[in-house]
Amino acid sequence: MTARASTANVDLIPVRGSGWRIGLGNLLRKEFGQWWTTRLWWIQTLIWLVLLNGVTTVIMLDSSGMTPAELVNEAVQTFFLVAATAVGIGIVLTLQGSIVGEKELGTAAWVMSKPASRASFVVSKLIAHFTGFAITTIIIPSAVFLVSASFILPEPVPFGPFALGTAVMALNVLFYVTLTLALGCIFKGRGPIAGIGIGFILVGQFFKGMLPEPIVVATPWLLGEVAASFAMQQLPVFDRVVPLVATTVEILVFGAVGIWRFNREEF
Amino acid sequence: MDTGSTSTSSDLLQKSVMRGERDGSDVITTSGLTKTFGAIEALTDLDLNVPHHSIVGFLGPNGAGKTTAIKLLLGLSRPTSGKASVFGLDAVEDSTAIRARVGFLAQEPRFYTHLTARETLEFTTRFFFRGPKEALRDRIDETLELVGLADKADRPTKGFSGGERQRLGIAQAQVNHPDLLVLDEPAAALDPLGRRDVLAVMERLREHTTIFYSTHILDDVQRVSDHVVILDHGRKVADASTSQLLDGGCTYELALRGDVAAAGASLRSRSWVSDVATTTNADGHHLTVTVTDQETADAHLLRSILQDDDVIVTAFGRKHYNLEDVFLQLVEGRES
Repeated sequence: MTARASTANVDLIPVRGSGWRIGLGNLLRKEFGQWWTTRLWWIQTLIWLVLLNGVTTVIMLDSSGMTPAELVNEAVQTFFLVAATAVGIGIVLTLQGSIVGEKELGTAAWVMSKPASRASFVVSKLIAHFTGFAITTIIIPSAVFLVSASFILPEPVPFGPFALGTAVMALNVLFYVTLTLALGCIFKGRGPIAGIGIGFILVGQFFKGMLPEPIVVATPWLLGEVAASFAMQQLPVFDRVVPLVATTVEILVFGAVGIWRFNREEF
Repeated sequence: MDTGSTSTSSDLLQKSVMRGERDGSDVITTSGLTKTFGAIEALTDLDLNVPHHSIVGFLGPNGAGKTTAIKLLLGLSRPTSGKASVFGLDAVEDSTAIRARVGFLAQEPRFYTHLTARETLEFTTRFFFRGPKEALRDRIDETLELVGLADKADRPTKGFSGGERQRLGIAQAQVNHPDLLVLDEPAAALDPLGRRDVLAVMERLREHTTIFYSTHILDDVQRVSDHVVILDHGRKVADASTSQLLDGGCTYELALRGDVAAAGASLRSRSWVSDVATTTNADGHHLTVTVTDQETADAHLLRSILQDDDVIVTAFGRKHYNLEDVFLQLVEGRES
């Protein structure tokens, strides 16, 4: 090391501020960088293109015994139902270490030794991961679905309603991102996060028919059906609204619990 | 976030000095600071005052509570009882404002492994400053050079050795030119050259900054610290300036040749001498003289011995302890 006198830095401006947003901009830049300047974005995109568009393209190509309308319906239903479950599992698996890993490694303590609020730490991850997953698991595959459907299907998929269905899927993504990050704030290991997150998805997948309806509609388990119904304009309005409102409330609750818990974290 | 005026290194220095002159208060103050983990008391009733522009060595054996105390000061952990304030701000309530003026190096610094050293420093700097890219780059280049990492600036930190990580840790701790630098074992992972460089950096930063650092390396503390605080089992056992701590007080040491027994007897007859111990080893004879009146001893002790023609004095001086002696006495003394 050499002891050189400071000569530069004439234009640096101290960042001032207080409250929960302090450090948010810098943390967001870092989190977005982790998505878009590494291999993460194209690996995720590739996985979901193969998984979602691969499956639905096979269905679109197998039109035996179906009317054109039935075929469109089948393809749209498959796209949203597979997306609702598979994307949830993908998010839990990918993000299970997002906060716990930083707590274990010591980078969370390092960041928290800088002028950044704990809420900023959690919210930056929430925003960046939601954006990353929404684009790579929903928006890009939806666009590819629409393009491939226009070439393969005998009837067009209506763009507006399909876009609404995509928006519902984005809510599904936000739910699982929030749930996984909140669990990361609560637990110290990856096991409970993956167990609870994936367990929740699988219970919905396999047992929702056996559970009381008020419980089922108050979860995101029906968001796949709701998204498809938006795209195909099928379900009555009330059946669509309840899961949307309930999921939104749950997102807010999990987000608040996660931030509250992280605020109490001892490093 | 709103913004203030532009800032330069000399501005920061001046502001820092001005703050010290204006309020004259301590940078760190703790009162009855206590932290327990279940039944374990990691830190008990710590009262601490760290003055401006001092280098304070924070010593203690493993598990003494040093890191716990540092985490409490930075708001990374909450006290069970007691209070801590930094720059007069409460360590719990005003933690973010405190951290805006502090640079911190953790005991085992960890960084995002996909970022390069330069990106790591850019990420750190952006918590404190905004401004043109050129200005940020200048600050980062200057800091990388300071810690000897300029040639590794664009390597991901994933491949860094322990020593390189430590240097990057020191860089990120001082990239904001902090008013207070808190270093937890800053030289632990460094080779002797690296240690020497860290101490040189600390001495250079002393003009700008108050430095509070924990370490096991007692030689380093003795070399650079103005003040020493020693913890043991979560309790403070010493808190004094380095010179006070190492000062033998009313004890003098002499190396002699000749009739040592007669010299010892002559000294014992003086009213201001309370004890004389004689030891002999390969180097010769040694007297350790304890006195009740230091001024009289300064004036007459050597003269009294030199009156005796049968004795030759080869060394004379007040006893000075080294920090290791003091540390071991305090810590082992408590254990026994």
